[in-house]
Amino acid sequence: MIAFEHVNKIFRLPHDRKTTLRQHFTRILQKHTYEKLYALRDINLYVESGEFLGIVGKNGSGKSTLLKLVAQVLEPTSGTISVNGNVAPFLELGVGFQWELTVKNNVFLYGALLGMSRQQIIEKYDWIIEFSGLERFVDAKLKNLSSGMQVRLGFSITVSVESPILLVDEVLAVGDIDFQHKCYDSFESFKKNGRTIVFVSHDLNAVEKFCDRVILLEEGKAIAEGNPLDVLNLYKSQEK
Amino acid sequence: MSLYTETCKQDISLGRKNYIYLTLVMAITDFKIKYDNSVLGYLWSLLKPLLMFGTLYLVFSVFVRWDVENYKLYLLLGIILWNFLAEVTLNSMVFLEGKAPILKKIYFPRWIIVIACSLTALLTLLLNMIVFFIFFVISGAQFSIGIFMLALYLLELYVLVVGLALFLSALFPKFRDVHHIWEVFVQLGFWITPIVYPISIVPAKYHSLIFLNPAARIIQGCRQALIGPTGEFLAFKNHIIIISFAVCFFAIGLGLFNKLSRSFAEDL
Repeated sequence: MIAFEHVNKIFRLPHDRKTTLRQHFTRILQKHTYEKLYALRDINLYVESGEFLGIVGKNGSGKSTLLKLVAQVLEPTSGTISVNGNVAPFLELGVGFQWELTVKNNVFLYGALLGMSRQQIIEKYDWIIEFSGLERFVDAKLKNLSSGMQVRLGFSITVSVESPILLVDEVLAVGDIDFQHKCYDSFESFKKNGRTIVFVSHDLNAVEKFCDRVILLEEGKAIAEGNPLDVLNLYKSQEK
Repeated sequence: MSLYTETCKQDISLGRKNYIYLTLVMAITDFKIKYDNSVLGYLWSLLKPLLMFGTLYLVFSVFVRWDVENYKLYLLLGIILWNFLAEVTLNSMVFLEGKAPILKKIYFPRWIIVIACSLTALLTLLLNMIVFFIFFVISGAQFSIGIFMLALYLLELYVLVVGLALFLSALFPKFRDVHHIWEVFVQLGFWITPIVYPISIVPAKYHSLIFLNPAARIIQGCRQALIGPTGEFLAFKNHIIIISFAVCFFAIGLGLFNKLSRSFAEDL
């Protein structure tokens, strides 16, 4: 269950970022100038357990910020957010991996980052390796694998985390068609298992196919919400 | 093959209890990576303090001569303990920066990073202590009850150093020059603290100033416990002073860290 009530997120982007002490001291007397970026404005959102929610919108409309708020990585500027259950995000390629370590070591590191215990990773280990198709490369260093293989590994580990909430932020584009099918199959099984999924994508076909409900963001505001067909039609008509 | 044996509703609290495992994995990973691509591997964690010891020993036993009993052991122990302090405090900031991409994506308590870093350094410290005890046996020194005292001192040192590391790494994302400033402090501290030289060469009026530094108290205490001669730093009072410092540092460090770490994802 995810609930947002009147959530605002404002980023302050200083015109000249101060990151050293000297800059802080020399600028303490000057007027602070910064750009206020309203990443999200008055978002109200309720996602039931077991719901598959899609979020669409142009670049910079606040989709990723919304996911980061769900993941509790960012704190809202105002408003309240309650998230019931562990959140597992799909990470983009490279984040969370250590290139110098073997595939096996990486499974344990990545799994731990996503909140699994050692016991849980051991139980899922064979499944992860089989699902990612890396049986022959278990002891190879990660840096020697192709980027497609790395994406598959990351996806497989994330899928195996039995967290009630999954965040998917446009990460599947790198895999080949076979793997994408596998991913979409596993989405189906998530739905059956009653897991909540928040899906951000520019692949409107996938959004239409899987989502129960879609939210359209524009400049941080939710301008439409409802069943996928209607919202996507509105979104498409806007683009023209 | 079916992945889910049961629905995940029962797993609602999953993850929250696994922070200890995450800390350990991070620490071990860090240790592995550090020495992975080098020929001598883990030996480097031993060689570094030994090389430093060799150089300083050469200078201060050939060119300058202190009147210290068992100077070899005296110097080596000082270097090992100071290196631990330097490694934890400086690396925790580096480590935090390296983990920035993950911090921006996944939530876990941020102190895990600092603790993981301290565990890596602790492992190095323990390996170094083994080397120290090899020297200890070779030089014919006698084991005494002081070895238990050593454990207490190391615990105090650990709390103190983690407190410092929390404090510094809390400030680091907003003020990057904390790292540079601290590097200078560590260098300065190495020479202000009686590590290379005996405290007896310092005029007595400066002693109270030098021992304002709790790390200097710990180092002197460890030496008196292991190498001798016994002295004031083994007294109960010394522990009280060190523990008060350590607990204060830790509380302030943790408080600041908890406050500032909330915006790490934006600052880093």
